[in-house]
Amino acid sequence: MDLVYVLLTGFISVVLINNLVFTKFLGICPYIGVSGRIDMAFGMGLAVTFVMTLSGTLTWMIDHWLLMPLNLEVARYVAFIMVIAAAVQLVEMYLKKFFPPLYESFGIFLPLITTNCAILGLCLFLVVWGIGTLIEAVVLSFGGGIGFTIAICIMAGIRENMQMVDVPESLRGAPITLITAGLLALAFMGFTGII
Amino acid sequence: MLDSLKRFAQESWLLVAASLVCGLLLAATNAALGPRIEMNKTLKLTSLAANLLPEATSFTPLPEPIEVQGLDGRRESAVVFKATADDRLVGWAFKVTGSGFADKIELVTAVDASFQKLAGYDVVTSSETPGFGDQIKDNYYRSQFSGAPADKFTLVGGGAANPQEIDSTIVAISGATISSTAVVQAMNHYLPQFKEQLQQKGLIGHGSNP
Amino acid sequence: MAATPDGQSVYAEAVATGLWREIPVFRMLLGTCPTLAVTAAIKPALTMGLCVIFVLVCSNIMVSLMRKGLRPHVRILLFTLTIAAFVTIADLFLRAYQPAMSEALGPYVPLIIVNCIIIWRAEARASTSGVLVSIVDALAMGAGFTIALCVLATIREILGTGRLFEIQVLPKAFPAWAAMGMPVGAFLTFGFVLGFINYVSRKRS
Repeated sequence: MDLVYVLLTGFISVVLINNLVFTKFLGICPYIGVSGRIDMAFGMGLAVTFVMTLSGTLTWMIDHWLLMPLNLEVARYVAFIMVIAAAVQLVEMYLKKFFPPLYESFGIFLPLITTNCAILGLCLFLVVWGIGTLIEAVVLSFGGGIGFTIAICIMAGIRENMQMVDVPESLRGAPITLITAGLLALAFMGFTGII
Repeated sequence: MLDSLKRFAQESWLLVAASLVCGLLLAATNAALGPRIEMNKTLKLTSLAANLLPEATSFTPLPEPIEVQGLDGRRESAVVFKATADDRLVGWAFKVTGSGFADKIELVTAVDASFQKLAGYDVVTSSETPGFGDQIKDNYYRSQFSGAPADKFTLVGGGAANPQEIDSTIVAISGATISSTAVVQAMNHYLPQFKEQLQQKGLIGHGSNP
Repeated sequence: MAATPDGQSVYAEAVATGLWREIPVFRMLLGTCPTLAVTAAIKPALTMGLCVIFVLVCSNIMVSLMRKGLRPHVRILLFTLTIAAFVTIADLFLRAYQPAMSEALGPYVPLIIVNCIIIWRAEARASTSGVLVSIVDALAMGAGFTIALCVLATIREILGTGRLFEIQVLPKAFPAWAAMGMPVGAFLTFGFVLGFINYVSRKRS
């Protein structure tokens, strides 16, 4: 079951060991902005996971089945961002038509996701890591989203508790969130080397 | 029909024009800089290899890349460089990959002309922990490989062997077992494959006679 | 010369906005991803800053030239296309002339495409102003961004390795805080610097 082993280790690697937020610094803007409450954080996490899986798969396919065979790697970044923008548009339209309540609850997050560097970042990391098979790309994209969701929900939980604590005035808001993220990054470092 | 076509053209003419301009800019830059970028890639490997085989004056890649099997079982194609000094064969250089603590580790490895001894290795890419696994870049660990036999290496803990003795026993960096293992593992996995392929191509002799 | 409502020249206003009033990263909290990723040392920080200045200037020029023809539906697409093209060009130049830096920065150069700063300036300035103002705005914003990056990078490199630009700044006896080079150090430094800026702002007002 070699393939399953590779997929499983890849999944764990991108969720815990190479967590997109804590080791690759991706998705920080929404991370700071939306992690105030757990329900918002979870919604954002789900939206990001969905778009990330879709975009990662699509960009991998375009990269491997179109750009590389035709030696058009120079158009890679343009193609990727266009695909991501289109994917987000499609997801929005699809949700609006078939799942209106879900669309309502996502609210403004969905269009904001296009400029979420986590999405483009993951698509680019798939290239950097030299991912060779479609199924691996799908699993890693999904894992990236799950990792982001875990990171943002942990942060939301902590921030909800911090509202009852006496934070020094200069540090309120973004600074204390960043410091907390730093401590979380330190904690996540403990995961390295487990596979 | 014509009306909606006209509206479409009105809305999107700028997009099409901009795409053309951007496309041209990209194509022009790519054509101008492409060869230099390619050259940089080979230069990186060969400049590191030149430090390992100081006698060599030129590194030429073999015309056909070598097929090896990666650590995960996947087939990879690797380029082997022939190191020469005025037409005299000095050694071979190639890249091996290991899986380290943080991410993959890429090493450029050089061996002598008959693939009997390792000239040493240097780190091309690694993201190991600074102060710990990062020490694979330092002399303490690297010097143990210089002049070592190009055979199977065994890793032992500190104190179990003398790091100054150049043989097939390698003393791990204390506090960085995984990074040390990664280097040894990469050597053990790739060296036999490269040796066998070069022997098959008739570029080096068989047996242990120089 | 064109003037803002309070009599300041448009150019001076653009410079003041970019370098202090709305400085990216610190005041606007935009472009945080590359900020954390490349500020482990000062050289990558400077390189990233220069790349962003290049992309900002080119994209502002192009958007400003196109501003008369912008339609509501396709404007964001147009901005994105322009930015992506110039980022690719910047990346090609980096890979050709500074391969070591290109490798150190890795995927963070193409991530300039989604760096909110660039789209923000295209929307806020270049799509409504002439080419010259757009250029000044781009230079000022880019400079502001670079300064912010360098502040963080200087702190992290000096505390993390004791060296700056390969020159030993701290005495060798000072134990280097290796954590500064890692994600922990990035988040913590950024958080504390932001906190410090908040403190200074509050003191002044």
